[in-house]
Amino acid sequence: MKISYNWLKNYIDLKVSPEVLKDRLTFAGIEVEAVEELGKELKQIKIAQVVKCERHPNAEKLSLCQVNDGTETIQVICGATNCKNNIKVAFAGIGTQIQDFKIKKAKLRGELSFGMLCSEKELGISDNHDGIMILPDNAQVGSDLAAYLGIKDTSYDVEITPNRPDLLGMIGVARDLSALMKLPITLPDSKIVEINELIEDHLSLKNEVPQLCTRYIARMIKNVVIKESPEWLKKHLISVGLRPINNIVDVTNYVMMEFGHPLHAFDYSNIQGKKIIIRKAGQNEEFPALDETTYKLEVDDIVIADDKRAVALAGIIGGENSHITTQTKDIVIEAANFLYSSIRKTSGRLKISTDSSYRFERDITDEVAELASRRACDLILEIAGGELLKGKLDSFPSKKDLKIVSVRPSRVKKVLSIDIPSEKIKEYLTALGLIFIEGSKDDLKFKIPYYRKDLTREIDLIEEIIRLNGYNNVPTLTRSQNIMNKPVFYARRKVEDLLINYGFSEVINWNFGDPNDIDKLKINKIDERRDFAKLKNPLGESFSIMRSMLLPSLLKNALYNINHGQKNFRIFELKKVFTRKDEKLATEKLHLSGLLCGELDPVYWKNDSVQLDFYDVKGIIEDILNELKIENYKFQGSDEQFYQPGLGAAATVDGKIIASFGKMDPKIVADYDINLPVFAFDIDLDTIFTRDIFHDTIFTNIPKFPPVLRDISFVISKEFNYSDIVETIRKSGKNSISKIVLFDEFAGKNIKEGFHSLTFSLILSSDTKTLTDEYINNILKKVNKVLKNSYNAEMR
Amino acid sequence: MKEELNNVIASAKKEINDVTSMHELMQLKSKYTGKKSILNSFMQKIGSLSKDERPAFGQTVNIAKIQITQLITAQEENIKELEYSKTLRSESIDLTMPGRKRAKGSLHPITKIWREIEDIFMSMGFEVAEGPDVEDEYHNFDALNTPQDHPARELSDTFYLDNDVLLRTQTSTVQIRTMENHPLPIKIISPGSCYRNENDASHSPMFHQVEALLVDKGVSFIDLRDILNIFVKKMFGEKIESRIRPHFFPFTEPSAEIDIVCVKCYGEGCNLCKGSGWLEMGGAGMVDPNVLEKLGIDSEKYTGYAFGLGMDRIAMLKYKIPDMRLLFENDLRFLKQFS
Repeated sequence: MKISYNWLKNYIDLKVSPEVLKDRLTFAGIEVEAVEELGKELKQIKIAQVVKCERHPNAEKLSLCQVNDGTETIQVICGATNCKNNIKVAFAGIGTQIQDFKIKKAKLRGELSFGMLCSEKELGISDNHDGIMILPDNAQVGSDLAAYLGIKDTSYDVEITPNRPDLLGMIGVARDLSALMKLPITLPDSKIVEINELIEDHLSLKNEVPQLCTRYIARMIKNVVIKESPEWLKKHLISVGLRPINNIVDVTNYVMMEFGHPLHAFDYSNIQGKKIIIRKAGQNEEFPALDETTYKLEVDDIVIADDKRAVALAGIIGGENSHITTQTKDIVIEAANFLYSSIRKTSGRLKISTDSSYRFERDITDEVAELASRRACDLILEIAGGELLKGKLDSFPSKKDLKIVSVRPSRVKKVLSIDIPSEKIKEYLTALGLIFIEGSKDDLKFKIPYYRKDLTREIDLIEEIIRLNGYNNVPTLTRSQNIMNKPVFYARRKVEDLLINYGFSEVINWNFGDPNDIDKLKINKIDERRDFAKLKNPLGESFSIMRSMLLPSLLKNALYNINHGQKNFRIFELKKVFTRKDEKLATEKLHLSGLLCGELDPVYWKNDSVQLDFYDVKGIIEDILNELKIENYKFQGSDEQFYQPGLGAAATVDGKIIASFGKMDPKIVADYDINLPVFAFDIDLDTIFTRDIFHDTIFTNIPKFPPVLRDISFVISKEFNYSDIVETIRKSGKNSISKIVLFDEFAGKNIKEGFHSLTFSLILSSDTKTLTDEYINNILKKVNKVLKNSYNAEMR
Repeated sequence: MKEELNNVIASAKKEINDVTSMHELMQLKSKYTGKKSILNSFMQKIGSLSKDERPAFGQTVNIAKIQITQLITAQEENIKELEYSKTLRSESIDLTMPGRKRAKGSLHPITKIWREIEDIFMSMGFEVAEGPDVEDEYHNFDALNTPQDHPARELSDTFYLDNDVLLRTQTSTVQIRTMENHPLPIKIISPGSCYRNENDASHSPMFHQVEALLVDKGVSFIDLRDILNIFVKKMFGEKIESRIRPHFFPFTEPSAEIDIVCVKCYGEGCNLCKGSGWLEMGGAGMVDPNVLEKLGIDSEKYTGYAFGLGMDRIAMLKYKIPDMRLLFENDLRFLKQFS
């Protein structure tokens, strides 16, 4: 539903800007879905004067005009018959955007046109399309149309929740705002003057379906003059997205928007037999509606009928046979209410949704009908003239007393956890129109106004109390403690799971260690791992320190398992290691160590068995580092003495060692009575976890253009590093090489001693274009050339 | 000439039906219907005929061409079917031979229990807090209301590094550290390694414990009872009831010990529960006001509960591990059972 800022101001002196009002509405529970600044389009339209208007030399129905927009004289071609000299018009210059249409320079029958003279319909002001809009003589040439028409308003598209039918009109919204903003509200005062003639002499009313039609009021006005509505009325309707039609229809729409209660006006002369009958439709009864469609009705539909036929489909749409025309003189104003479920069923089945059905479907109130009826009559007398007949026809079959609901301040406190004193509760609820009747200390009784059908229980009142108090006006209890480091917590699990998938079994050893192990592993004399955290009362010499390394325990686990017949195994331990020098307590760091022994894969009848090698361990380390999103790690030889010379490596980030891995020195392993090749790794998780590695994945665009795969193969001296070679290829590829995969290495037959052949798959891709063969060949030529120049590589 | 044509059709038919490969069939196709085919050479002879004979002859040749094309198409289908069944035969295997599997690793049973406990408590809004294994006497004893002359402080019970530096005997130390460093309310569990100077069949000098702590306004004994109940049921199943009985811990008041219904006999009485039907799970209680006051917390405003459970014991009960030593032997035949 649309509501307008200016219109609201008729009832309540909003002391806030349209911008602030948007938030107020939203926090009142009236969610603003869109805001539109009205008059934005009309601001582009200038008032201009036609200084010369003559027939187009080549077209009979067109005129060639010179118009002055206050700054210059412009040639415009116009097709309207009412265009003539000296009139003031609404002029849209080149570049003006009207609805979906942009004004451009045009050539019509050989003559140029630099703009457009607009009709009211084109400007969205009315349905009038009989020629261009002609403005009064006193209109100021050069000023914009929005300013001239005084169209400066903001409209809000709001969502009204189904529990609040009272908000389906401006007054309901104003009432809520008045309570929330503590501002007084002024409601329209309808003082209707009746003539002595009785309505009963002209019309009778019969409500055959009191269960379905819960209220029906008819009033009658004679001798109205059907014409265009005054400006203020049209402006208000336009501001909420309704098109002005004529003064009678406009008033019914206006009052609907005001009270949220739809009305209908009939042409009295078309009501046959002077009778209004509210009845069920006949099966297959045909009803010609205002929308120029004839609907086939069913017995559950309600119709408003006269002696002979249906004149309206109750609450949904009027009849084609009885609507207001320019000839209409006497009218009947209907203000009624119908059972919401019946309206919903009919409008749903016939697929007719009108402003009227939208409201009746939401269970509006019987009582408002009278207010709306009086207001409509008052306005019609004012703007359409005529005489209101005395009295009304009113069917109100089941009038109900106002409900009384109690609220306990103690209960308010229990539900909301905030103290709201009784006085405050009274203040809030009275502001919403509830009437305080009486109350003991913990029981306040309120009479609920008829327009708040949704308030039936104590909890409904409590909701209103917190709404007026402000949902965000309550203290926040901080429950989030932020004690744990969640990224580290989950990273640790991730690494464990990764190793499990690699076939590792986790071991847990006592954290006690044997200082001799550090010697056995040839740890340097000045290494911090010799700063033992020594126990005063250990279980024995071999448990006399807190472990400063995990590997010795793993070697002992390995031996135990080898002695029990295992030759292929992978084990890891993720635990703290301890050192202590000058600190009061100890330095405790999280490490991850692992040992691998035996074959790469489980025995499989289709495969030959392959023994683990250095690169298997390296792959695991790379996978772990990638899993932890560590970028830019590098590899170098390790200084650890427990790796076989030349087969121990270290991974570094920013020059800092974060892991070592490789093949353990057979001599050291033999010291632990193990005579099998053993591979090991040790990762300093503590250092890794202090790095900023825990960022969320950010989506990158999926390449639009297909990648191209090309292979290159060359013979190169073994003295050059693989990583340098790859870097060279990458650099020479001008950003077009997105992936470089080594897929073969070969030395021996036909290859010189000290040389080997390397074959790479290059994946070339671009974000902006499909790579042509020519482009790819150029890249490959460049790569070849650079490899030749840098490494004397021989392409194959 | 018509007879000649019939002969051609007859020989084509025979040849086409005899081929078994797609390649040969394509050769026949070009031989009979291609540009330089036999049928085309017939067409060229049309010039030698009289005008009247031409249409009839042309039609005959065309019909022959259609016939041969149909034969080829039919044979093409046959050959495809043949090749398909050949493929099926050659790819047939013994479905009962072993599939290709990856080596499968395993988490240590204690880690499995550790994670399960973390997940249960995290789902109830607890956070996981950690602290050092090497502690001072203050956090391990003093702050926890343990008197100076308490027997637990003896060398025979506790590992010391220095006079007042030791290996924590419980993870309650983490609770103290958390309360020192974080504003209330606090709702944590602290799993970790603990150490006691004893080593026999039922005691390991290093073991794993989890402690829980909730300090907030309005925390009561009922909350403690409730959380224990929920935890035990989530850990061991709906059938397992728990109970608490009065006990003494220096840092809680009132204090209690937690029992659960025997996971083996469900309360009937068996060798695991030594006939009682109940198993001891750990200690619990409301945080002693002294502990809170020492940390500068107003014990009139705030109350809390705390409890500690042995994770090794939970693992043994849950997985029916008969001997504690198996947990630290790291025998792969044991570990792999938990994959």
